[in-house]
Amino acid sequence: MTKKVAVVEVAQMPGAESSDNFLDQVYRVCKEVLDKAGVSREEVGTVVSASSDVFHGGISCANAYYWDSGAGFLKSGTRQDGESLLAFQYGVMRILTGHYDTALVFGVCKGSENPPNDEITHFFTDPFYQRQIGLNETYAAALQMREYLNTYKITEEQCAGVVVKNLGNALRNPYAHIRKKVTLDEVMKSKRIMAPLKKMECAPKSEGFVALLLASEKKAKKLTNNPVWFKGFGSSMDTFYLGDRNLLKGQLENAAKRAYSMAGIKNPRKEIQLAEVTEPYAFQELLWCEDLGFCDRGKGAKFLESGATQIDGDLPVNPSGGVLSTNAYVCRGLYRLAEVVLQIKRQAGERQVDRKIKTGLAHGTHGFAGQFHAVAILGS
Amino acid sequence: MGNAVAIIGSGQTKHGRRNDVTYPDLVREAVQAALENTGLTMDDVDGVVYGSMPSMMEGVAMTHFYFADALRTVGKPMMKTETCGTTGMSLAHTGYYWIASGLADVVMVVGSEKMYEGDSQATMSTVMEPYYLRSFLAGAPGIFAMQVHEWTARYNIPSEKARDAAAKISVDHHMDALDNPHAHIKVKLTMDDVRNSRVITYPFRLWDICPNSDGACAIILASAKKAKKMCKKPAWIKGIGFCGDEYWYGDSDKVSWKCAMEAVKQAYDMAGIKNPRKELDVAEVYNPFTFVELLHYECFGFCDPGEACDLALKGVFSRGGELPCDPSGGTLCTNPIGATALIRVAEAAMQVSGLAGDHQIPGANMAFAHGLGGLSEFNGIMILGSKL
Repeated sequence: MTKKVAVVEVAQMPGAESSDNFLDQVYRVCKEVLDKAGVSREEVGTVVSASSDVFHGGISCANAYYWDSGAGFLKSGTRQDGESLLAFQYGVMRILTGHYDTALVFGVCKGSENPPNDEITHFFTDPFYQRQIGLNETYAAALQMREYLNTYKITEEQCAGVVVKNLGNALRNPYAHIRKKVTLDEVMKSKRIMAPLKKMECAPKSEGFVALLLASEKKAKKLTNNPVWFKGFGSSMDTFYLGDRNLLKGQLENAAKRAYSMAGIKNPRKEIQLAEVTEPYAFQELLWCEDLGFCDRGKGAKFLESGATQIDGDLPVNPSGGVLSTNAYVCRGLYRLAEVVLQIKRQAGERQVDRKIKTGLAHGTHGFAGQFHAVAILGS
Repeated sequence: MGNAVAIIGSGQTKHGRRNDVTYPDLVREAVQAALENTGLTMDDVDGVVYGSMPSMMEGVAMTHFYFADALRTVGKPMMKTETCGTTGMSLAHTGYYWIASGLADVVMVVGSEKMYEGDSQATMSTVMEPYYLRSFLAGAPGIFAMQVHEWTARYNIPSEKARDAAAKISVDHHMDALDNPHAHIKVKLTMDDVRNSRVITYPFRLWDICPNSDGACAIILASAKKAKKMCKKPAWIKGIGFCGDEYWYGDSDKVSWKCAMEAVKQAYDMAGIKNPRKELDVAEVYNPFTFVELLHYECFGFCDPGEACDLALKGVFSRGGELPCDPSGGTLCTNPIGATALIRVAEAAMQVSGLAGDHQIPGANMAFAHGLGGLSEFNGIMILGSKL
């Protein structure tokens, strides 16, 4: 890959429930990112969005509905379903071919108009075997957590520590949905949703509107003096039935390997200075850190306890507050990416990490117990 | 523009009412057919792209999870592209961009739909938002019928002439489908059969309208280097185009239809095509409704505005005509929506590779494939050539 692609600007909207009209929200976030970059709608080369037809308030073909609100009028565009980091990858691809020198990439999900997330994830099941037993994403995560606790002799308190850290970070993020200081005790005493998962260890249901403007190297240098560069991308899909999978060693390692190889990263623990991971369930942050090669297998909790992943640690994880604070299902990968961009640009406001970030990682996942994973690497 | 990309093979299911297989098995059938057609194994494939219509269609959400094994994508990178009816074309475009960007060498692209498991018109009614559009647009026939009325009124096309031209298209395509082993509806019709069939949404009668089908299609794309190694007769991607219009139905001109004209312009410019009727040898137009196919001929520059009926009646677009359209029988005879536009691409590739069997257009070197979708707001194009 000889050509380079940059993220020029990002824009995001708060995760809290909003009475604003969905199309207005789409329009506003796209307009904001274009205004920041000083690019008119007419100048945008192509539009790649991410959304889902099930997390979409009962309207099918989501992208048809918001096409013109999302700057797509009379443009070439497309849409990725389920994982918004794929929209980022696709935007990068479109620029790399030379067809376009700018791409507007955005993810949208109006959580407040959707049923509870697990009513929707229940429909990921096949109609014959899994649906009857009521499997959904939380159910699958609970099974995964139980296995994690048993295999590595980790305690529930250690997992709950992730909530304290991430919601603590969210206090400094004006876009976060859940903003309240919590103690370990409160997390442990929150209602059991599906044993061993407790309510505060499960992500909320949020609004999500996030947009990025990507540009070719030449164009990016004209548009900003603070570009953030695309370095690598990897994704991987796991098999469908939970019983056929190793829930503690899924496809994230595989996806990360691909991204690291593209970015030329040999030792992620040393070479990556900041990570934003998708942790809809607290313990998953620990497990994903292991998969990403930040620590050894089974040592995720120790890694957290070492303080390394705190906002002032040497590898902050989820300084934005992560998905535990804001969970707009389809958009969560792009929200992670937007935070990495802001941190590298040193525009993350009160939650800005002190150290210089040369390389950052954004992770997205959806499906039961992380059936699909995507990893993007960005650099200064 | 990027690295050259070719389609090196494809596979289709037998389309129709497929009560004999589950949905994943239907997908598996197309994937297996594509692998057999190319002689590749999944070790040769760098990534998989999949898409279909919205989940409401079959009652399973985010089917890429359910189909992971059938798609043979376990342990592989994957993309999930969906743009409503244009999904099949957007899928093919995703495969193209993935390889043209240099991030992959061989990509398998799969689209599917199992429409007998759900209610397609109910699903399509939910493409319209619930306040203004849903209550009167009444599924796909309602949308496209209005477009046809706008077209015949604009050019003062007598309704009998439009009726006859559309009937001829129906008769021709149903005849064509008899030569296509994958086609769903196989029936010999007369002009009177079409003219006298029952009205669904005026002016559409039963034989003007595509069926619901169960079916899947898979194509395999490769970079120039790999294509030359893996395939004797690659179909080279010469041009692509995609354009989206207004969502709000009443806000755009559906006759001088900007998104169709802009999408095709992108593709022609890239392929260097100036006179499509002369330079194209065959076209697979996405034709769920006979009348709308005629309107598309005009938007795509196959003829002048208002001229399509006359030329169609003269046989210009029939097999043996100057620009044969939909020799596969088209969407009119086979419509598993998530796969439908991808089937257009697969058929166009088969034509330029000389592998279309009984419905081969002799000597086809340049073929056109089209997808249509959204709330009648998306058009996507791919042009394939026999030479790099």
